[in-house]
Parts: sequence; C-alpha cells; structure tokens
Amino acid sequence: MVNPIPPPELDLQTPRDGGPGGSVSSHVAFRNLTVRYGTKTALDGVNLEIPRQSIFAVIGPANSGKTTLLKCINRTIDFISSARVSGEILVDGGDVYRQWNVYELRRRVGMVFPLPVGLPMSVYNNVAYAPRRAGLHNRRELDALVESCLRRAMLWDEVQDRLDLLGTRLSGGQQQRLTLARALSLRPDILCLDEFSIAIDPVTTMRIEDILRELKSRMTIVLVTNLVQQARRLADYTAFFSAGRLVEVGPTEKLFTRPEQQLTERYINGDYG
Amino acid sequence: MRDDVPNNTPPKYLLAAETAEGAVITLGSADSWEELLDLLAGQPENDGVPPMAYRLIRTAETEAAVKKKPRREYFANFRGAGGAGREDDGTESAPWWGLDHAAANLAARRFDDLPPLAVREWIRIRHKEPFTPGALERRKRIKEAVAEYVFLAMTAALVIPIVAILAYLVVKAWPALSFSFIFQNSEDSQAGGIWAPLVGTFFLVWISLIISAPIGVLAGVYLNEYARDNWFTRLINLAVVNLAGVPSIVHALFGVGAFVLAAGMGQSLLAASCTVAIMTLPVIIASTREALAAVPMAFREACWNLGATRWQTIRTLVLPNSISGILTGVILQVSRAAGETAPILFTGAALFTSFPYHLDQPFMALSMHLYAICTQLQGVSDSVQYGTAVVLIGLVLAVNGLSIGLRVYLRSRKKW
Repeated sequence: MVNPIPPPELDLQTPRDGGPGGSVSSHVAFRNLTVRYGTKTALDGVNLEIPRQSIFAVIGPANSGKTTLLKCINRTIDFISSARVSGEILVDGGDVYRQWNVYELRRRVGMVFPLPVGLPMSVYNNVAYAPRRAGLHNRRELDALVESCLRRAMLWDEVQDRLDLLGTRLSGGQQQRLTLARALSLRPDILCLDEFSIAIDPVTTMRIEDILRELKSRMTIVLVTNLVQQARRLADYTAFFSAGRLVEVGPTEKLFTRPEQQLTERYINGDYG
Repeated sequence: MRDDVPNNTPPKYLLAAETAEGAVITLGSADSWEELLDLLAGQPENDGVPPMAYRLIRTAETEAAVKKKPRREYFANFRGAGGAGREDDGTESAPWWGLDHAAANLAARRFDDLPPLAVREWIRIRHKEPFTPGALERRKRIKEAVAEYVFLAMTAALVIPIVAILAYLVVKAWPALSFSFIFQNSEDSQAGGIWAPLVGTFFLVWISLIISAPIGVLAGVYLNEYARDNWFTRLINLAVVNLAGVPSIVHALFGVGAFVLAAGMGQSLLAASCTVAIMTLPVIIASTREALAAVPMAFREACWNLGATRWQTIRTLVLPNSISGILTGVILQVSRAAGETAPILFTGAALFTSFPYHLDQPFMALSMHLYAICTQLQGVSDSVQYGTAVVLIGLVLAVNGLSIGLRVYLRSRKKW
C-alpha cells in the first residue's frame, strides 16, 4: 500500500525502446487492480509498481492472489473465462488491455508456470517454437538461440545429444526447465516465474538463481515463490500479499529485517495462521 | 542352545505330529531345545501324506500329555511340506519355507517375545498357504468372473451375428462373384454386371465429401477453437447434435425441397450429392470437434503464452495432433454415404440409366441398385442380388478398415 518504492542504484537513464507508453520509471504498474473469479475476489484494489531491471519477488500464503497478479501482466488471465479484471495494468506505461497488442505483449513478457507443459514436439522445436512464430527462420540463428536458452535453463547438458526427443517425454523437472528455456527464447523484457523451482533439485535451482541474477541486467524478473528464503536470496524488492490484498512492499532486506506490518513479520518467521 | 528355556529335571521335549485325520502321533523326544529343533528339521518331507501340523511340546509328564489340550499354544507357520518348489515355467526354484526353515527360525529365536515353554505349552507349526481367501475375497473373485463372462457373452452376441451374416451373404453370392460381375455392365440388370452403379456410388461419395468435408471440418475448427461459450454457440451445438440424429429420409425430403425443386437441380447427381453432404455434415462437425478437443488445453495455453496467435496455434499444434482423428471421422462418413439409400431415392438415383454420368442427370448407385433388383425387377437371380450386397458391404468394410488402420496409427504416434 506504500508506493512508490525508492529505486536504489537503478539505471533509469537509459530508456529502452518502450511499448506504447514510452519510457517510464516503473516497468510494470498496477493501478487499483481488482480481479474476480465469479463471485470470489482474487485481487482487491492492488496498487503496485515493479521497477526495471530488478528481481521482484511476490510472496504470500495460498489463495493470496500471487499467481493471479502474474497472469495479469501478460493477460494470461484471459484464458479463465470467469475472470473479471478492473483497474489498470500498465506495462512500459501502456495499458495492456487498451494500448498493447496482446501477441506483442506476450512476446515481451515471458511466463513460466508451476505445472510444466512440454509441447508435443521435439525439444529443439519446443524452444524454437516462439521465435519461429515471431518470424525467425534462419537455421543457424535458431540453433544458436536454442543452445543459449537451454544452457541458461540448465538443461543443455542433459538434452544436447537428443534434441529430437519429444518434449512431453522429459521428466517433470526437465520439462520445467524446458518451459523456462521456452520463455527465454523470445528474449523477453519481463520474465514472470511462478514457482519455477518446485520440481527442480536444489543444486540446479541454485545455478538457475545465479543465472537469474545475471539476466537481471537485461530484463525485469517477477518471481512468485513459496520459498521465503528464495525471495530473500534473489529479490531486490519483495511484496507480501495476503487474501488478495497487498500487505507490504519494499526492498527485500528491509522487508525481511524490519517489516512494517505484523502480518508480514509473522509470515516471514513462519508462524502465520 | 536356548539358554532361557529352564532346565528342569528331567528336561524333556516331545515332537508330535497331527495327521489329516486328526490323530496325534509322537515322532520323537529330545533332551534339549536344540535337539528338538534338529529332530523337527530332520523330518522327512513329502514322504507319503505329510502331517497337517507339528507340535513342539515341553512336558514333565508322560507322552499322554500329547493328547491333552495345551494350557497355552503358539503358532508358527510354514508353507508347504515340499523341499524345492516348481515354478509355473517348470524350473526348480529355491527351497520353500519348509520345516528346516521353521526350525532354523525357531533356533534363531524368531519367537523373541515368546517366554520359555512351560509345562504343557505347545508351539504348533502348521501348513499355511501364504494367502487363504476369506469370504470377502471369494465373493470378489466370483463377481470378477461373472463380470468378465457377461462382457464376453455380449461381445460374442455382437460378433457372431456379423460373422454369420457375412458368411451367409458370401456363400449365397459365390456363384455370381467374378471379375466381370464387378467391372462390366449388363444390358438388362438381369445377369449382373454392377460397374455402372459402383461408379455412381464413387461419384456420389466423392462429390458429397468435396462439399461436406471442408465445410464440416472448418466449422468444427471454428466451433471448438474460436467460438466463445455463449447461447448462440450452444444453440449451434444443439442443432449439430440433433441434425446428426435426424433420420436420413427426412434429409431426403429436405433435399427434394431444397435442391431438386427450389434450386432447380432436378433429379440429378448433384442434387443427390448435396443431400448426402447435408446428411453427413453434422457428424463430420461432431467428430472434428471431438478430435480437436482431445488435444489438451494446456498445450494451447502454452503457445498463446508465447505470443502465438490462435491460427498459428491451430496450424502448428492443434491440427498436426488431431488430423488423424479428423480424417477418421471423415472416412467413416464415406461408408455412410455409400450405404444410404433414402437420401438418394427421390433426389437423383435412377433404376437404370446409361454412362456417362452428368452432374445434372440422374445416376445409378449401388445401394439403389440393390433395392431395385431385389424389389422392383422380376427374375433377377438370387446370387446376383447377394453378390451386389457383398460388394456393397465389402466397400463399406474396406473404408471402415482404412479408418481403423488410421486410428491404430494415430495411437502409436501419440505424443503425450
């Protein structure tokens, strides 16, 4: 509820070639966002700004609206027919419903969901799928892109000899990393990760976290996680949600050491509800 | 040596056997627990009729104690009296859990919690199958068997008539079946020669499919992939389902009204094909939708998530994974179009006409020809009638077989 966030050491001077709204200080902004599924309110009057080139963690107990918030950014929420969205969602200053072309928006906003879905095609085609749809057909460029995405998702070593294997035949953890590689394949401006590590072993998770820190210089990363410690390790800013409301947001270190709300403190210390 | 067995004087253990008839025979005595177990392990196995059970008894009294009821009884089980077992495939397996095993386990104090045997206490070692079915288990087995046989009987009730009908037809038709019967024309329909109606059926099927397959498949794609779930879509779906169930004679009447009369086609190949197309359309739409719906929603959402448009998703993901199912549905309609008589009866089929066919002229079709030679024309030999039926059924079966083959191929290639 307290916003805007003071952006420390953020390079706001070099604007990226932005979307419809041009360059603004926050990359994603929610203005009085309310989402209802039928009669159930999932998000209630959320005002939040996500700064550029940072890792922004969203934490909170189950049913607090974390995933719904994420789905609003690239309008994945549209797939749920009962969802009603009101308020404004701004990406690069442009309203996602009024100013953005939805396909362009989704190319700019990469999304990884907790349930991994390998597409029923080869591993190579899984990663090359989105670039091809966006018009990239040069085989050499595709090869390089597929390799770099798979390397970043820590999957290259396991699949480099069998890129023709069906994506649906990979193990759960491998499919999850495959979806990460797929999300990276369009070099998105914003990368949304929803519980990206639940099926991945701790060692690989750590290595992916290192890569996320590296990617931060190129993209804004929004991370929904149930692992409070993962948020603490990775994120520059953390927002705490409860029951569809934004309880508190701030620089991660401050939120974890001097939370302003009692609810936040209890959740972080693990004696929530 | 089992130290914790009290060493009363005189220490005496007995080994007794219970036979199947209920008699109890003393097999031997021992002065120590260890000796007793040796005695047990040394009992001949598979020697005649094995005893039902053995008893290990400690008694300070005489052998008469064997016949008395024990004050307390413990049980140890062993499976079978045989040494080596025989597996189903005939190979010898490792020795079973037999008497020597029982003895070894008793010696190794598997009966850890067992206090030392007091006077007139027994350990009874008896045969026990590893799993003895109880009342519940027996009921389950009976129900399982009943269910299986009922389903088998129903399948037989389905298959036997089909085989019988086919066999009857082929036997009856045998004298007429020949190369010239199928590939030549007859002048008077009396002596066989069904080339003209066969060709007519091919034309009918192809023209109707050229009309109905694109419309049906594309409409199915629209209804499943694009249409929002609102009252209008639901109305269309309801109409499709109901149209699929309308009797073909009703389609025929519609065809007479719409194509023969209103559209001015007259009784012609085109009017008949249009009527058959209208008849097959709803089923093609329904089977297309079914094939498309079999592609999980999660795949589509993953593609949309990557910025793919609906058409890109359909072209690259949905259609490649459902095309076999769609084709199967279309092919099944080929056999239906070939077999139906009612829709072409008033719209274009003729009892007798001559080659070549024209779109605006009546034509001959196999199903109509069969109807004609069986009911309208006098003096056609039985074998010609049956021969026509066999060719028609063979055509339908061949097309259905193609569709089944496609389905098998589809399953073998399933990607998730």
